[in-house]
Parts: sequence; C-alpha cells; structure tokens
Amino acid sequence: MMSSDSTDSVGEFIQGESEPSSSWVVLALGLVLSLATLILHGILFPGRDLPVISDILPVFDGVFDSGIWFFILGVMLGVFAIIATMMTEATSE
Amino acid sequence: MGDVVTSMAFFWGLMLLAYFLMQNGLGILNDVVKSMCRFALGKALGPAIDFVEGREGSASKTWMMHGLFWLILASLFTFEGLWLAYDPHALHSLSSWGYSPTSTSLLYAAGFATLYGAVGMLIISSSFHIIPKLADTELASEKNGTLVSYLWTLSVLFLVIAAHNPEILGVNIFLIATILHGLAFLAVLINLLLTVSERKSALPLPGWLIMLGMLADPVSVVATILGGIGSGSVQWLLAHLVSGTFFFATLAGISLYVSSSATGNPLWSRSLTAVTTVGAIVTITPMGYTDGKMAADMLLVGFEEISMQSTDGIAVAFLMALAIVPVMALVANIMMTLRGGDAFVENPDSAGVPEINLGTSMLLPLAVASLFVQSDALSHNPELEGLSSTLVLMVIWLVLVPLALGASQNLYPSITGRSLLSANRSRWAFWMMGWGAFFGLAITMMADFAQIEAAADSTGIVSGEVRVLGAILFYGTAIGAIMHALNALSGLYRGAPVSKGRPTSTSISRDDYSLTTPTSVRRILAGGAHLDTTVVPVGESDETGSPTELD
Repeated sequence: MMSSDSTDSVGEFIQGESEPSSSWVVLALGLVLSLATLILHGILFPGRDLPVISDILPVFDGVFDSGIWFFILGVMLGVFAIIATMMTEATSE
Repeated sequence: MGDVVTSMAFFWGLMLLAYFLMQNGLGILNDVVKSMCRFALGKALGPAIDFVEGREGSASKTWMMHGLFWLILASLFTFEGLWLAYDPHALHSLSSWGYSPTSTSLLYAAGFATLYGAVGMLIISSSFHIIPKLADTELASEKNGTLVSYLWTLSVLFLVIAAHNPEILGVNIFLIATILHGLAFLAVLINLLLTVSERKSALPLPGWLIMLGMLADPVSVVATILGGIGSGSVQWLLAHLVSGTFFFATLAGISLYVSSSATGNPLWSRSLTAVTTVGAIVTITPMGYTDGKMAADMLLVGFEEISMQSTDGIAVAFLMALAIVPVMALVANIMMTLRGGDAFVENPDSAGVPEINLGTSMLLPLAVASLFVQSDALSHNPELEGLSSTLVLMVIWLVLVPLALGASQNLYPSITGRSLLSANRSRWAFWMMGWGAFFGLAITMMADFAQIEAAADSTGIVSGEVRVLGAILFYGTAIGAIMHALNALSGLYRGAPVSKGRPTSTSISRDDYSLTTPTSVRRILAGGAHLDTTVVPVGESDETGSPTELD
C-alpha cells in the first residue's frame, strides 16, 4: 500500500507542467542549424571561403584592427540592452 | 601675503557669511527674495516647466537615472583612455569621422563625465531626497529639480566635447558648457536653500555638511576670482576647494545619513561629524588633480603652471596635512555607525551598503597617498608626477563613485517607491565595479612605477603590457555600470513596491518606537531611540486565532 502511494506521487512529480518558450526553441534550433551548416560547408568545400560572409568581412578591415573594439562592442551591446529595456518596460502592460 | 592665502581668506570669510545668512535669513528682504526665487524656479520658465512631472521624489529619481547613465559613459571613456596609453593608435579608424582621441583627451573627458556627470548627479539626487527629510518638509520645486537635470546633462555633454576639442567652428565650447552648468547649479542651489528655509526643526549636521558643500562650490569660484584666478596656484586651489567641498563634504553628509538609515543605527559620534564639517571647509583636501586645468578651462581663463610663493607653499602644506583630520573623523564615524552596537537592525546586505563600505575603506589610504603626491607636485623637482593621474582615478573610482552610487542604491526604494529589480544583480555589479576599479587601477599604477623607473634607469621593464592588463581589468567597471543601470531601470517598472513608512533616518531623533515583540534595550537604542523616546507597546494577544464570524 505504502509503495503504491509513493509510486503514484513520483508519477505525478515527473509530469512536466511548463514548457520552454517558442522563442528559445527557435533560437536553439537556429544555433544548431548554423553550426551544422558550417561543418557541412567545411566537409563539402574544404579550404573554400564562406559565401557572403567572406565578402562582407573585408569591409571592416582597418576598422576593427585593435582589440579595444571587442570591448567597445560589449559596451554598445549593454547600451542597446538598456534602450531595449526602456522601450519594452515602458510599453509592456 | 600670497595669492593662495588671500583666496583662502576670501573663501573662509564668504563661507562664514553664507552660514550666517542661512541661519538668520535676509531680514526684511526674506519674503521678497523667497517669492522671487519660487517664481524663478516655476512660472518664470514658462511652458517648459509643464513638460515634467512634479510628484514627490521625481526630481531625485531623474537625477539618479541620469547619473547612472553617465556612469556608463564615464567608465567607457576611462577604459579607452587607459587603453590608448598602451596603444595610441587603437581608435585611429575614427579619424575618418573627424574624431581623433588621445589618452590624455579621453581621460580629461572621463574626468568631466565622472565627476560632474555620474558623481555630481548622484550627489544632487541624494541631496534632493535627504535635505527635505532632514528639514521635515518637501522639496521647494520638484518640477524645477526634474527639468534642471536635463540642463545639467547637456552641460556635461558640452564639457565632454570641449575636453576633446575646446573650439568648434570658432565657438568656444567651454563657454557654452560653463553657462549651462552655472545656470543648472544656481537652480539646484536655490531649490535646496528654499527647502532648508522652510525647515520645521534644526537641520542635523549631515544636512549642514550637504548644504555647506553645495554652497562652497560657487563661493570658492568667487573667492578665487577675487584672489586672482589667472595664477596657476590659485587655479590649483580652486580645483581642490571644489574637490574638498562639493565632492567631499556633500558625499560625507550623504554617506553619514545613509550609513545610519541603511543600518538602523544612530550616528556614532556627533562631535566627529562636526569635525568633518568644519574640517572640510577650513582645510584644503589633497585629493584631486595636481594642476588646475579643469578649473581654468571651466572659468575660461588661460591655464598656467603652478608656481607657489614660499608663504603659500607653507600654508598649503599645512592645510593639506590638516585635511587628513576630517577624513579620519568621517571614516571612523561611518565605520562605527555601520557596525553599530552589535545590533544591525536593517538588512546588512541591502543594496548600496557594500559600496559605502568600499568607499570608506579606501578613503583614508588614498587621502594619505594623495598628500604625498600633491606635496611632491608642489615641490621644485617633482618625482611622483607620473603617479598623479592614476591616483586621481583611484580616488574617483574607489571613493567618490562608490560613496555616491552606494547612497543612491540604498535610497532608491525611498525615492522611487520600489525596490531594485534584483539584489543579486546589484551584488554582481558591485563586485564587477569594485574589483575592476581596484585591480585595473592598481596594475596601471604598477605600470606608472615601471615607467618612472624606466625613465630613471634605461634597464627598466616595458610597462605597455602591464598597462593594457590594467585597462582590461578596469573594463569590469563598465560592465558593472551597465548592470547597475539595467537593474535600476527595470526596478522602476517591476521592482517590488515598498511601504511608505520605510525608516530612512535613525540618527536623527526618533520620537516614538513601536514595540511589537519583547526586545533588549540595546536593540531599541540601536533603532534610533534616545532617552526621551516614547516606547509604544503594540497590543497583541496570546489567544489562538479563529475565523471571523460574520453576522
């Protein structure tokens, strides 16, 4: 009798009630898909530059030529996060 | 008598006059002047004043948010300045946009952004909250306080631009910045003076510290103009008078108030508070730049190198050494108040308290270090000049910023009516900022020492690699500033609402004490009660509870 009760409660306990939001699922899938595409490109076209991206990156030559830019980029992301927070907090119900 | 001593005599005389007028008013002109000031703060501004809200705490809230945003820019400029000392061409790609910053220009701009943008605005934010509380009244004009914050921000923006390029298209940018800054400061001062004039009881000493610190800023400008601002030593004096009053004295008052309100402990010593108040006005703080360039630029006079007469030199050395006394008094008072009589009534981990602890702990060692560096800078053959820039950054980021930020963080719930969004994020931000500033600047100072050694001895080590490590570690302050700003911003909307009755002053007499549970006399005294406080037992019953019967 005792073991039957505990089995029931464990059964209820392991029933998931919440689900991850769709946005996170899409983001995770997108990340996995990007990695898979990169690996596939490396296997199918070894030694060849990535299409589109390899054409865009040279545009930034001479701009991001110091490590300081990675740090400045971090602060810019932070500032954008503040602006986004301001907009979403002010407009959310 | 030298220029410096003459200027100090003017300063002391004018401060005594200001104190006398604050205590006794303007006699028959009192009501007329008050009415004129009220008009100037409100209706005289026309429709502009109606664009801002005038609810209780709105002025303080706006200044705080501006200060937090400036903190991000200030930390970014400082980080870039430290990095460019290692690699002067790191930002050369910006020259195509007409912007070619150097390490010196970035650190100079960072000085304005941090001192007047971040620290200054956080100081005024806390003052707008504390002074009405201590005076037991309301801020004279919340609307004007809110509106003027934008003017102040604009003035700091012009100062930052002017630090890079003082003249654009033939226009003197410092002139615009100084006019805007002067107007904004005048409005803040009138607002606070009007508030104090409506006080219902005697203003406690922390309140006087704040008020005298605020008043001393324009007074020191007038005193040094009368003493001869064209001289390099008077320009240096002005920078140190502003540093010792507007920054040190006001922060001392704010920190004393917050150390008491955050812990629930009464102020440890009234006499030490009095020593801090008098000492801040009478002495010359050694903390600050070793030249008066900032003061000269803001007053639109030509910058001169310091050349002090012997009488001035002796007086300055004596007054700077004497400035350690108020610093020691303040540190002891805050530390003992924070520790309390073994009874920490409020939450010891509440936001802001770690920052106050950090700022207070670093104050005395940095003041003593500054004394040595300043004395050396005023000598004929300075040997420690290479350290002065980093030492000023240490004073700013390890004393002024933590004290101003800590006070704002702790007062945040009382000002906004909501708690910060996350105490955890606030703690993380503190560690990022504290360790980032401490290690980043300590390592930069090691690079400075290496550079001094290298200049004296050609076998010295190359300081560049050490310098870039210092810059990278300092980057933690930028991350911490962003986290603080995000936390405060989200807290405005989603922070847990706090009850109106949150105690914010305990050192400052408490007339009644509600006794809800049996407690010790020590705990009651630690809660701010004094011998004349009425202990009011709140009724309670040991009977078991039962559902309320409905008729």
